[in-house]
Amino acid sequence: MTRTIVVTSGKGGVGKTTTTANLGMALAQRGRKVAVMDADFGLRNLDLLLGLENRIVYTAIEVLSGDCRLDQALVKDKRQPNLALLAAAQNRTKEAINADQMKQLVASLSESFEYVLVDCPAGIELGFQNAIAPAQEALVVTTPEISAVRDADRVVGLLEANDVNKQHLIINRIKPAMVQEDLMMSVRDVQEILAIPLAGVIPDDERVIVSTNKGEPLVLEQRLTLAGLAYQNIARRLEGEEVPFLDFTAAHDDLFSRIRRMFRSTPR
Amino acid sequence: MNSESSPAAASLTPIAQSDEAPSSVLDANLQVRLKNEAGKLLLLMPPELENHAAAPGWSELWLQLKQRLTAGDRFWQSETPVHLIARDRLLDGRQLQAIADALNDVQLKLKRVYTSRRQTAVAAATAGFSVEQQTPLSYLNQPSEAGKSLEEPLYVQTTVRSGMEIRHPGTVVIVGDVNPGSSVIADGDILVWGSLRGVAHAGASGNIRCLIMALRLEPTQLRIGEQVARAPEKAPAQFSPEVAYVREDGIRITQATDLAKFRPNAGSPNT
Repeated sequence: MTRTIVVTSGKGGVGKTTTTANLGMALAQRGRKVAVMDADFGLRNLDLLLGLENRIVYTAIEVLSGDCRLDQALVKDKRQPNLALLAAAQNRTKEAINADQMKQLVASLSESFEYVLVDCPAGIELGFQNAIAPAQEALVVTTPEISAVRDADRVVGLLEANDVNKQHLIINRIKPAMVQEDLMMSVRDVQEILAIPLAGVIPDDERVIVSTNKGEPLVLEQRLTLAGLAYQNIARRLEGEEVPFLDFTAAHDDLFSRIRRMFRSTPR
Repeated sequence: MNSESSPAAASLTPIAQSDEAPSSVLDANLQVRLKNEAGKLLLLMPPELENHAAAPGWSELWLQLKQRLTAGDRFWQSETPVHLIARDRLLDGRQLQAIADALNDVQLKLKRVYTSRRQTAVAAATAGFSVEQQTPLSYLNQPSEAGKSLEEPLYVQTTVRSGMEIRHPGTVVIVGDVNPGSSVIADGDILVWGSLRGVAHAGASGNIRCLIMALRLEPTQLRIGEQVARAPEKAPAQFSPEVAYVREDGIRITQATDLAKFRPNAGSPNT
């Protein structure tokens, strides 16, 4: 049975595409057959993050119009043969496709893949509606910022109304030191508002920028960074494994910050 | 007796006290409503108001319907017949089927469609529902909602999330949180068994004796009747159930346990 998971957030720039690329790669590394599908028509990025831009010949539009077969449009990853990308058309807009066509594409992908990850565009308009139409599950990505959480909350409500009831939360770009100083929303603060089960927390990591520019997902690195490890753990949790959440706080909990906290002492 | 015993009561900031609250004229007809009536459920569609900016389109109605259905599904007995009061809404066969399917998901059966539009009647008949076509005037002649006593309370179990708006011409009871970015607008009281972080407007048609109460009151804004207030900048160190009410000098907040002490008739503000 294929699992179709939409990666969505409402707000832009919180890490949907990074999450899609890394989870797709991590699941493929575990031996799953994974298709990642870019639903961001007109502003596609997923191909860049996977380093596959120069190998795209056909996009989803050509598959739908019958100009090519699905397997011709799928770009096999050069490093990880279990992973394939179905690119969006860059020269079109969101109106180029509708919800039924999305369902149709995902249905044909389901024949040969165990996971279909759909990278949703930002916003809650047509592109979002199209992206969530074929999904049975959702990963809601947010950062610990009030604006991102507010938008994620709206998206959770819209997903519920569209019968995507299996939802998990990914909190991206958390800075443990700032959380400890009470300068950033904590995982608990975010969860208190959104009230959906947590799939994972990704620490803020400058290497993400490097990895994006190189087109090499973090999980491919030989020596995994904390962020890469966090993505791998999410993939394991998606597969039903019980994986304890990483403790990012340990490194920052030195005597110095304890004293500072003591002086700050805002009882909560 | 000193009624200002609660620290929160002093720190609530009234804004624009004398100004009128934005008159959210609670046109009950602007949202999808479900109403019990003699063993059946009435599903009331808002009328199609042409050239009316606030008139919701189909996708909005659809969201409202889904939200109401999931928020209340444990209160309906399965197989309860539903009568759709479509009024002058133009609904095509596909939309009618979508409504029937959504009702089906919560074990409700769409049995009959009342409409004043010929096209809707034809679509409903084609889709296999029994249809009653009314003259456009017949629903207008029904006693209007205004000036009547309040509707029965709306009881929903859900998280009211950002972007959602619950309007009801009566008291609203919410089991769950009301998140920032959402609003609850009621002609009666608002009771939140959870955290109230969004905007709440009780007594929206002008009744300043209405109350807003929550287990944890940290609202974006409170409105009662025509009064508006926002929560203090600094959140209190700890939360306990609180009630907001209107006094001569604006909206005040007090501990829920203290309410009865100095407002003995607070229990029934609508009678």
